[in-house]
Amino acid sequence: MARVGVFICHCGSNIAGVVDCAAVASAARRMPGVVHAEENNYACSEVGQAAIRTAIKEHRLNRVVVASCSPRMHEPTFRRTVAMAGLNRYLMEMANIREHVSWVHGDDKPAATGKAIDSVRMAVAKVIRDERLTPGKVGITKRALVIGGGIAGIQAALDIANAGHEVILVEREPTIGGRMAQLDKTFPTLDCSACILTPRMVEVGQHPKIRLATTAQVEKVSGFVGNFEVTIRHRAKRVDHSVCTGCGTCWQKCPEKVPSEFDSGLGKRTCIYIPFPQAVPNKPVIDWANCRYQRYLAASGAEKKPPQCRICEKLCPAGAIRFQDEDSVVTEQVGAIVVSTGFQAFDHSAYPEYGGGRYKDVISCLQLERLLCASGPTGGEVVRPSDGKHPKTVVFVSCVGSRDDRVGRPYCSKVCCMYMAKQTILLKEHDPEVQAYVFYIDIRAGGKDFEEFVRRSQEEYGALWLRGRVAKVYEEDGKLIVRGEDSLVGRPVEVAADLVVLATGIEPSAGADALARTLGVSYNDYGFIVEAHPKLRPLESNTDGIFLAGTVSGPRDIPETVAQGSGAAAKVIGLLNQDELVTDPMVSRVDPLRCSGCLSCREVCPFDAIGSELLRDGRTAAKVNESSCKGCGLCVVTCRSGAMNLRGFTDQQLLAEVVAITR
Amino acid sequence: MSDLVTGIRAQVRDLLARRRVEYVVGYETGSDGVNARPFFAYTTEEADRLVFDNTCTHNLTKYLVEPERRGSTIGVVVKPCDARSLTVLLAEHKFPRDVVAIGVVCPGIVQRTREGGDGEAPQARCQVCDQHTPPACDILVGEATAEGPVLDQFARLAPLEAQSAAERSAFWSQQFERCLRCYACRQTCPQCYCDECFAEALDPEWVGVRIGRAENWLFHAIRCFHLAGRCIGCDECERVCPVKIPLGLLNRKLRKEVLDRFEYRAGTRSDERPPLETFRKEEKLDLA
Ligand SMILES: Cc1cc2nc3c(=O)[nH]c(=O)nc-3n(C[C@H](O)[C@H](O)[C@H](O)COP(=O)(O)OP(=O)(O)OC[C@H]3O[C@@H](n4cnc5c(N)ncnc54)[C@H](O)[C@@H]3O)c2cc1C
Ligand code: SF4
Ligand code: SF4
Ligand code: SF4
Ligand code: SF4
Ligand code: SF4
Repeated sequence: MARVGVFICHCGSNIAGVVDCAAVASAARRMPGVVHAEENNYACSEVGQAAIRTAIKEHRLNRVVVASCSPRMHEPTFRRTVAMAGLNRYLMEMANIREHVSWVHGDDKPAATGKAIDSVRMAVAKVIRDERLTPGKVGITKRALVIGGGIAGIQAALDIANAGHEVILVEREPTIGGRMAQLDKTFPTLDCSACILTPRMVEVGQHPKIRLATTAQVEKVSGFVGNFEVTIRHRAKRVDHSVCTGCGTCWQKCPEKVPSEFDSGLGKRTCIYIPFPQAVPNKPVIDWANCRYQRYLAASGAEKKPPQCRICEKLCPAGAIRFQDEDSVVTEQVGAIVVSTGFQAFDHSAYPEYGGGRYKDVISCLQLERLLCASGPTGGEVVRPSDGKHPKTVVFVSCVGSRDDRVGRPYCSKVCCMYMAKQTILLKEHDPEVQAYVFYIDIRAGGKDFEEFVRRSQEEYGALWLRGRVAKVYEEDGKLIVRGEDSLVGRPVEVAADLVVLATGIEPSAGADALARTLGVSYNDYGFIVEAHPKLRPLESNTDGIFLAGTVSGPRDIPETVAQGSGAAAKVIGLLNQDELVTDPMVSRVDPLRCSGCLSCREVCPFDAIGSELLRDGRTAAKVNESSCKGCGLCVVTCRSGAMNLRGFTDQQLLAEVVAITR
Repeated sequence: MSDLVTGIRAQVRDLLARRRVEYVVGYETGSDGVNARPFFAYTTEEADRLVFDNTCTHNLTKYLVEPERRGSTIGVVVKPCDARSLTVLLAEHKFPRDVVAIGVVCPGIVQRTREGGDGEAPQARCQVCDQHTPPACDILVGEATAEGPVLDQFARLAPLEAQSAAERSAFWSQQFERCLRCYACRQTCPQCYCDECFAEALDPEWVGVRIGRAENWLFHAIRCFHLAGRCIGCDECERVCPVKIPLGLLNRKLRKEVLDRFEYRAGTRSDERPPLETFRKEEKLDLA
């Protein structure tokens, strides 16, 4: 026999100010199965909880309904309360009469009270059908996977490894370092990016607890927090890194030159290459698509075969070249995952009016970083790509791919104002004759020492910041005419520039959305991964055990990225330090008698939690792996046969709720 | 004897002689001497009773999902529309891959009533059929034909679509009021195979036992959704209904929605999952 107790919380005046709680209590007393109902000023307070515990003892309650706020807020609290009084913690239901009632129906108190009574009636109908549930336990694989080796991933990997756990760091490119490796100096302190980054990169490469996998990608993830199985594709490097000494003979002699990605296309690299001198690992890979020997092999018999080349193979003193190398796919077990795949710069070809791509001297901010950098393609000389001359008038155009609905990027990229300020300063330091103009919409300089830094650009370094949009950039007599407006004085302006720099915004790196789908985490319209809670859980994805660090979840600068890397590492360490995890018993269950074996449920399950089993009568039925199931309920609504049921939210319970309010 | 019949018999004799299958589900001429009926051929002698003509209306894949046939290797004669069922059922793991599908190039099936004799007009589904050569069969009987032009398969929906929601609701209420809940529609539908149909489940009781307007609506609404993206348009449900409820209209409407929204026709491709089981990123844009 169900003996239900109902506790109606006033939440101060939050609820009681709108809902007639006494009326709700007396209505509850007349509901079938209810043997006790009482009001409570703050049910979640220690006093309120004690009252619930006392009532459970006094009235021999075996089920409890708390009518108060959202279960998101206090379900764990009241589960604990009833557990302390000796009840199974899953024999408690909440009726949300605050968010669903008092906060939204303040203008109609009688109706609000009516709805509160209905909500309680539903919860009572459901709690009567609640079953005792017991959580399970599973072990943990004490190893972490970090995806993306930018500064975020580097920081996370080092912190986790230094805490004593193994780390696999998967990086898509031939080296770690990410975008930060391409930067010259960094705002607001102007310390050299490579000088602070490369020691960290080296530490990763040498750390006994870190296994580095470059030119590698995550293809598949199954399992669940504590026990993920990850499939990693190691793309063919065609150089055996266990033999290669990194002597450099090959990349000095390779005759095939292609634009360097690292130098944003401003310089060239060879076809067997390391992206930059401080790359980690400091061993080359062959860019097979561009390799002459590949072209030789691909040429059909009919045409004249190009020369074989194979110079690297001939010259390599270690005999490390492996032209026949193929991709390999391995699976690894890990307990936690950090996603830190970073960002890419917005492609400015969406703005034909700025002439990027059409005029050689309209470049991106990242290209300017490379020109400013002493180890860049010009050895740190800022010159025009068209004629190699030193530009004297440089115009920056802000918000290229930021704060603009027309290109689907309504958000602010957060770092562009600051790096423009930085670049104006650096330009002046390279050449005192440079005059920089910056067309901006707003200056966003919220951060420690940021506002002062922008002022330095303006006051000390004489950069002219003009508030207004640029309408057009066109060429005239060897100059780039930038036509915009100065909206502060309200008149059009034209600047004849030698170099135009487009401050391209930050967007998720290519393939971020596909990776998110592989991982089963949500992403927003732009492809940034969504945090479990934007304020309170910024480092967690909405899948347990998958954490976020750096620009993968939104634009941010280096200090913030590094803080996130350490933060995510702390979460991972906390997880891996446990010996076993408690699993939620509110998971799906198959009734094999009803299951028709169509396995539609297996198709829809986002967590790969469903397999199949052969029953003794020869039928096939679905089978839920309870430790993978997240209780999302997708399989339940997909199952036509009604064979799937979600514990804690069974069809019977939900139907009872519907019947309770429709009777 | 038509070439199709000769072809089917030869193929079936061969399959049985080689013991490739235990038996073959096909058609024979019924006791009225005119209309075909389902027939199970176990021996090479029985193979010679098989026929194929424009009265072979049944979708024989229905037999393959019967629980007692699990574990047997079966051959089945399929028209192109039946072959689409086969594809759906295979994707839903209803029987092992080693079922042998004997596809027959279909001349079109005629409408007949029990009494027979109401002419030789092709069935509605055949008038709009654009696939006379069965797709993805193990054995093909008949010459593959170029598919001729056909009537718009959704033309039948136009009058209903032109009505207001209230008018349509009134129309269906009128139709469903007559439903006896005999479940013949469900029994004949190859895509309806649950061991316990929601319509008869008691815990929870989704649909009340009473034969009333609300219960009948619920049965048809839920069944219709269970077939969205899975109904292959054989119209058998409509044909078997003793009170002539135009179920084909309902299912065809859903077929149209699924086609418009997901560019998906059930059973035409074995490499694609039904749209209601899959999610593509582009879809979220207009699911308002
Ligand atoms: C022009 C410019 C100037 C800047 N200047 C400054 C500055 O002065 N000061 C400052 O604080 N910030 C600056 N920033 C911002 C700074 O670059 C970023 O905050 C920082 O680089 C973000 O690091 P990250 O690790 O999140 O991402 P990234 O550096 O983008 O690293 C991501 C890594 O993940 C890898 N990856 C991507 N996808 C995959 C995949 N699917 N699988 C495996 N690996 C993958 C990438 O190859 C890359 O190595 C600047 C940005 C720009 C564009
Ligand atoms: S969807 Fe339902 S009937 Fe189909 S396999 Fe899953 S549990 Fe069984
Ligand atoms: S409720 Fe079903 S679909 Fe959701 S995770 Fe569990 S088994 Fe998968
Ligand atoms: S066959 Fe006709 S009468 Fe029978 S259940 Fe179906 S619709 Fe109703
Ligand atoms: S109507 Fe639905 S539940 Fe009933 S047999 Fe068909 S698919 Fe199964
Ligand atoms: S037309 Fe009717 S019988 Fe044929 S598949 Fe569709 S619902 Fe089933």
